[in-house]
Amino acid sequence: MSFDTRTKLAIYRYFAETGQRPSLEVVAERVGADASSVREAYVRLRAQRVLVLEPDGVSIRMAPPFSGVPTQHLVIVDDTKYFANCAWDSFGIPAALHRPGKVHSRCEQSGEPLNLEIDLEGPPPCNWLFHCLVPAARWWDDIVFT
Amino acid sequence: MLFFRSEERVREWCAAHEYPMRPLVTMDQLWTLATTWYSTRLQEHSRRPQPDEMRSIFAGLGLGGDFWNPQSDSFS
Repeated sequence: MSFDTRTKLAIYRYFAETGQRPSLEVVAERVGADASSVREAYVRLRAQRVLVLEPDGVSIRMAPPFSGVPTQHLVIVDDTKYFANCAWDSFGIPAALHRPGKVHSRCEQSGEPLNLEIDLEGPPPCNWLFHCLVPAARWWDDIVFT
Repeated sequence: MLFFRSEERVREWCAAHEYPMRPLVTMDQLWTLATTWYSTRLQEHSRRPQPDEMRSIFAGLGLGGDFWNPQSDSFS
């Protein structure tokens, strides 16, 4: 397995285990490498669009579907709380973990709460809607805004 | 990428922010997108769908046109 793949999996599995973003030092320890090498891997993983970093270049903002910072999209799986980057990613967390989960979010216009219990087959019948403002070709121009 | 209670709420939100209204996606369609993108994300050989695959995935859900084309140059 390549170093970049080991780094990516260390990040994602830490998120899966804890609901939190790992520090650079934790990832380095898990992959058995120095922090400098891991930081270089972060840059390559960003280019692959599986990691988004804060401006400091080391703090993880996104490892989609996981968010490294609190958002309005809270997902609970097996008593662990996760934040998702967006509505799409809130469904992506139970999908990635292959576990049932509870999605708590809101209608962006009215503020009405959305509480959905997702099972392994997906959400129950529900007439809420998903709206994406940014065209697919522009999603990664500013993925935080998207 | 946001949730809305109804099409009317989307319309109100877009009007309030002077945003264009985009194609709407149902919760079942969103679940398919989520599982397609993320069901292997914690595995060694996972990778994001490539542009051709994305187009095929979207088309399979009835999400077509330039908005869903990851290589469209219609939006600058």
